[in-house]
Amino acid sequence: MIIPNSAVRLLDDAVIKYKDKVAVSDEYETFTFERLQSLGHSIATALLAVSDGGYMPEPVMVYLPKSGKCIASFMGAMYSGNPYVPIAYDMPAGRIQKIVDLLEGRGHIITDADGMAVIDTMSIPETMHVHIYDEITTTAPDCDAVYSALDRVIDTDPIYIMFTSGSTGEPKGVTVPHRGAVDYAIWVHNTFGINENSKLGNQAPFYFDNSIFDIYSMLLTGAEMNIIPETLFMFPSKLPEYIRDNDITVIFWVPTVMINVANSGVLSEIEMPKLKTVAFCGEVMPNTQLNIWRKNHPDAVYANLYGPTEISDVCTYYIVDREFKDSDPLPIGRACENMRIIILNSENKLAKPNEQGELCVIGTGVSLGYWNKPDISDKVFVQNPANPFYEERIYRTGDLAYITDEGLIMYDGRMDNQVKVKGNRIELGEIECAAMCVEGVKGACAVFDAPNEQIVLFVESCEALVLRKFNNELKQYIPKYMLPSKLVVMDKFPHTANDKIDRVTLKKSISEN
Amino acid sequence: MTVTETISEFIRDKFDIGDDPDFTNDVHLFNEGFVDSFGAVEIIHFVEETYSIEITQKDITLFPMNTVEEIAAVVESKI
Repeated sequence: MIIPNSAVRLLDDAVIKYKDKVAVSDEYETFTFERLQSLGHSIATALLAVSDGGYMPEPVMVYLPKSGKCIASFMGAMYSGNPYVPIAYDMPAGRIQKIVDLLEGRGHIITDADGMAVIDTMSIPETMHVHIYDEITTTAPDCDAVYSALDRVIDTDPIYIMFTSGSTGEPKGVTVPHRGAVDYAIWVHNTFGINENSKLGNQAPFYFDNSIFDIYSMLLTGAEMNIIPETLFMFPSKLPEYIRDNDITVIFWVPTVMINVANSGVLSEIEMPKLKTVAFCGEVMPNTQLNIWRKNHPDAVYANLYGPTEISDVCTYYIVDREFKDSDPLPIGRACENMRIIILNSENKLAKPNEQGELCVIGTGVSLGYWNKPDISDKVFVQNPANPFYEERIYRTGDLAYITDEGLIMYDGRMDNQVKVKGNRIELGEIECAAMCVEGVKGACAVFDAPNEQIVLFVESCEALVLRKFNNELKQYIPKYMLPSKLVVMDKFPHTANDKIDRVTLKKSISEN
Repeated sequence: MTVTETISEFIRDKFDIGDDPDFTNDVHLFNEGFVDSFGAVEIIHFVEETYSIEITQKDITLFPMNTVEEIAAVVESKI
């Protein structure tokens, strides 16, 4: 296979092979490959018409409800030679503003009428062009302009920028090149045999890198990507019914959803005969619930995938090939094709088998770093200390791991304050920064209550604060998934000898209560 | 008790809402933070058991069920 300069070339190939076949379906609409292409051409034409023509790409923020329209917009951005930036439709305006600022007010926003009302409350410089989806999709396509822009793209150019939580309260824009996404799609295809008869049941939000699995498998193989209505995920017991009724063959979900479905007890009641591949990634998958899936649907292939956004979604995998007791941890397995994993110990040397260290990733999938943040990029995208001979860039994940005698990688927790709650990656620092913006708050300390898998927020304040109302304030700054489940108000925080907030004492107080 | 009252009372008790005046029959339960996303399951389970009905995946995708009134409307269409 020839690696294309831009992943959108995969769509052009798919149109030749699968033209009228459905590429994407959502609650309201279906998009054939051909329609996706023609919408992409129209959108790209509209974007190029107002382009500043400079050297740097112009990021295209896609701020629409989760739907096939987002996918068409991503195609439009790629056809114009620019990276897309998925923005959650319920993202607070304050956080969108931070992203606009990080992009230095350059580029484009694609939105709808409701999104426009939110954007109107923000300060958007004139150098950022705001487009309404329903308007730009009617633009007469100028294919000469589109393909000359596309020809200038090289595979190390950014394909998307995905914003993830940052500990200083500012989101970090992970910038992934085309070749990272394409390389990953090829691996997915080779490993799971996805083809034009497959139907992917998409759960992952598009601002979450797991969605790359669905989008690029669809483009590469001609499979159909079915966007499962978001509301259904609030009712896990109804999901197997949906899989059955819609003939879904492949799912790649976050473990929280898998766990909720298993716990609902419905797996023993509903047959899902077409479902052949069950992959999951984003947090630890417990064997207790995985065993419920395996027992009730023994014919499916189960795969535990691992990887942070910074390396284009996935870098290790484990096809579940033997029995596990409920209490056993599931390995994250081995490196994917064309990726390499090393474990660096506390002395920055390669760890021996069974020795714990930091999991580091090497390969085409390693991203270009954080958009407009060279300082923080330089801390984690570094030269491999084990290689003194030539430039070999690694990504230090901050995840702890070790390699067993069998050569399987085992995940072993985090080195810092990053936590995963229901599959969402959260820096506790971002919650604290947001809490400090609420009136009356003098200090804030967010703690992860691991046994209950929830965030407890301690605030220093003289006022009586109520969780629900406090969260309604916090929602102006941080996404809903970051909101604390518990609020503890204190007159004064305990401090350590060197005058830092005593997190250990605060954390202990949770388990004591 | 009407369906609306029954559902309202269940939610008030289950999610420790007490006598919060903001809790009305047309308030968005999830956006306003009265019920978290996991609570939705408990509400559906409650109405399915109480009224011996089944809320299908199609009902959930077709009809909004974000307020007490909206949930009651779906329930009433099935009893």
